[in-house]
Amino acid sequence: MDQNTRDELLKLFQGKLNQAMRLYLETCTRCGVCTKACHVHESMPHVKYIAAYRAEIVRRIYKKYFKAQGKLWSSVGQSKELTEMALEELYEAAYSCTGCRRCMVYCPFGIDTQMIMSIAKILLVGAHAEPEMLSMLADMSIEKGKSIDIFKEGFLTGIKNLESEVVKKWKMEAGDTAIPVDVEGADLLYVALAGAHSIIPAAAVFNAAGENWTLSFFEAVNFGAFVGDPSRTKLILERIVNEAKRLKVKEVCICECGTAYRVMKQLSGKQPFEVSSVTEVHARYIREGRIKLDKSTFQGAITYHDPCQIARNGGIMDDPRYILHHLTDDYREMAPDPRYNWCCGGGGGLVALGDETLDFRMKSSKVKAEQVQGTGAAILSTACENCHTQLDNLNEHYHLGMDVMFLTSMVADALVQN
Amino acid sequence: MATIYYIIMVPMVYIAVAVFFIGTVVRLVKLFTQPKNPSTLQIFPEKRPKWLWALHDSFLLPTVRKHNPLLWVFLMVFHICFLLLIIGHIELFESFAVFQIVPHEIFLGKGFLGLLLCIALLFFLFRRLISPYRELSVPEDYYLLILLFLTVLFGSQMDWARTWYSYGELGVEDYREYLLSLLYLKPDIPANILFAGHSFMLVVHVFFANLFLMFFPFSQIMHSFLALPINKLRRG
Repeated sequence: MDQNTRDELLKLFQGKLNQAMRLYLETCTRCGVCTKACHVHESMPHVKYIAAYRAEIVRRIYKKYFKAQGKLWSSVGQSKELTEMALEELYEAAYSCTGCRRCMVYCPFGIDTQMIMSIAKILLVGAHAEPEMLSMLADMSIEKGKSIDIFKEGFLTGIKNLESEVVKKWKMEAGDTAIPVDVEGADLLYVALAGAHSIIPAAAVFNAAGENWTLSFFEAVNFGAFVGDPSRTKLILERIVNEAKRLKVKEVCICECGTAYRVMKQLSGKQPFEVSSVTEVHARYIREGRIKLDKSTFQGAITYHDPCQIARNGGIMDDPRYILHHLTDDYREMAPDPRYNWCCGGGGGLVALGDETLDFRMKSSKVKAEQVQGTGAAILSTACENCHTQLDNLNEHYHLGMDVMFLTSMVADALVQN
Repeated sequence: MATIYYIIMVPMVYIAVAVFFIGTVVRLVKLFTQPKNPSTLQIFPEKRPKWLWALHDSFLLPTVRKHNPLLWVFLMVFHICFLLLIIGHIELFESFAVFQIVPHEIFLGKGFLGLLLCIALLFFLFRRLISPYRELSVPEDYYLLILLFLTVLFGSQMDWARTWYSYGELGVEDYREYLLSLLYLKPDIPANILFAGHSFMLVVHVFFANLFLMFFPFSQIMHSFLALPINKLRRG
C-alpha cells in the first residue's frame, strides 16, 4: 500500500474517532468475558471470532497511528501498520460480525463491537475492498432519491397491481384506495421494502384500523449502513425524512427491517414526526381496539425471534409479545430470555450478500438453530426481513420443520372483519 | 548503593508521579473534549435511573458475575484490596478521621491484603497463559500484571518483615517523615528507612511502583477512569 492511500485511509479512520469510539478503543482489558457472547464463536470456536479479538484488529492500527504508546513502544501493545494484509484481516473481522451487539451484554465495560467494526468497514470502502454488491445497492438507493420522477410511474403501476391482493385480506368500501401513495396530510407514512410481502399485509392492517396513511416511494432498507459508509447512510435516510416533511405526516412507520428501523429511529435526529416500527403500531391498534385478531388462525405453538436491531438495540421487546398473545395461547419464549437471544446470523449485510455468504451463515448460526429448536414451536415468527431470510435458510439447512413467518403477515391473516 | 537508593526514592518518585498525573489528565482532557456520538449507544431493556445502573455496572461487574463467576470473585477481591491499600497509603501521609470510621491500625491489613492481591494477580497472570485468553492478550497485559505483582509482593512483605526484625524499625512515623518531606518538596530520607534490615524491600517496592505509575497513563489501566463513562453509554 502506498503512502497516499494509507494517509487517505487514516483520514477516514480519524473521522470515526469521537468520544464514544475512543472509549471503546481505549478501555478493553482483554479479559475475554465476551468469548461466549458471539454466535459465530459459539458455533465455530476460533479465537478470531471472539469480540475482543475482532476489536483488537482495529485497535492495533489505532494504537500505531493515534496513540503515544504505539508510537513510542510499538511492541508492547502489538500495534500494527495499515497494510494490504491488515485490510484482509479487517475484512474478515467486519464481515463475520453481524453487528448484533450481544457482546455488549457480556462486556464489563459495554464495548460496542459493531461500532468498532464500522471503522473496519469504512477503511474497506476507502480502499475499494468492500463487498461490491452492498456498495452497488447503496448507490442505487441514492440514485432513486435523486431522480424520483423516473421511477415514479413504474412504481405507481406496480402498486396498483397489488391493490386487489390487499382487498382480499381486508374488504373496503367501494371507492377507497387500498394503497394510498403521496397523500399530503396523511397521519402516517409507511416505509416498506421492495417486495409485495412487505406492502400487502401492512396495507390490509392499516385499512382495517382505519388509519389515514400513505405509502413511501422509497424502500426502508439502508445499504449504506450495511456497507458502513456514514455519508451514504445519511443520504439514503434523508430521502425518507424529506418525503415525510413534504407530506407533513405525524408518524413515520418503518416496515419489518431491523437496520432501517434503528437508523431511522436513532440517526434521523429531532424531526417534526415520530418514528415507530410496524410492530409498535400494530400493538397500538390492538390496545386501542382498532383491530381484532382471530386466535384460531394459526395452529401449533408460536415462538418469536427478536431482531437484534429492533429489540436489544432498538428497545422493542414487549410489543411483539403482546401481539402474539392475541394470536395464540401457546407462545414459547426462547431460552433463557430475550436479552440473550442469539443473532439469526444474517445481519450486517450478510444476508444481502446472498449465496456468497450462505455457507458461513449456516455454519455460524448453529447455536441459533438449536435455540429455535429448543422451543418446540411449530411457527417461528419474526419482524425483520434479513432475519426472516436467514431463519428460512436455517430452517431448511438444519431441517427444523417450522413455518417461518413475518409477524405483520400473521396479523393481517388473523384480522377479524366486522 | 546509597546513591541508587536515593535516585529511586527521590527523583524517580517525582518523575513517576509527574508522568502519572500529567499523562492521565492530558489523556482524559483529550478524550472528553472530543465530540459525542450523534446517536444513542444504549442496549435494551433499559433500567432507570441510568446513572445508578452505570455505577452498579462499573463497581459490581454484574456481567462478569453472571458469565464468569470465578473470575468475578478474583476481580472483586483484587479491586477491593487495591482500593483499601490506596487508602492505607493515603494514611501514611496523615491519619484521616473519615477512614477511621472502622477503627484500624495504620498501616492497613498487616500484609494480608497484599497477599490476597498477589494471589489474585497470579490468577490473572496464569489465566492469560491459557487459550483463548493467551491469544487475546498483548505484552502490555503481562507486563502490567508482573509489575503490579512485584510491587505488591515487596510492599506487603514489609509488614511481615517488621515482625521478623524488630517492631521499632521502619514504622509509620518513618514513612510519614519521608512522604511528607517529598510532598513539601524538601526531600529527606530518614536514616531508619535506609538502614533498617529490610530497607531493600521498600526500595524495590518503590521502584516497581514508580514504573507502574509511569506506565499507567499509556496503558489499559486507564480503565480505572474510563469504566464509568463507558458503562454510562451502554445504559443510555
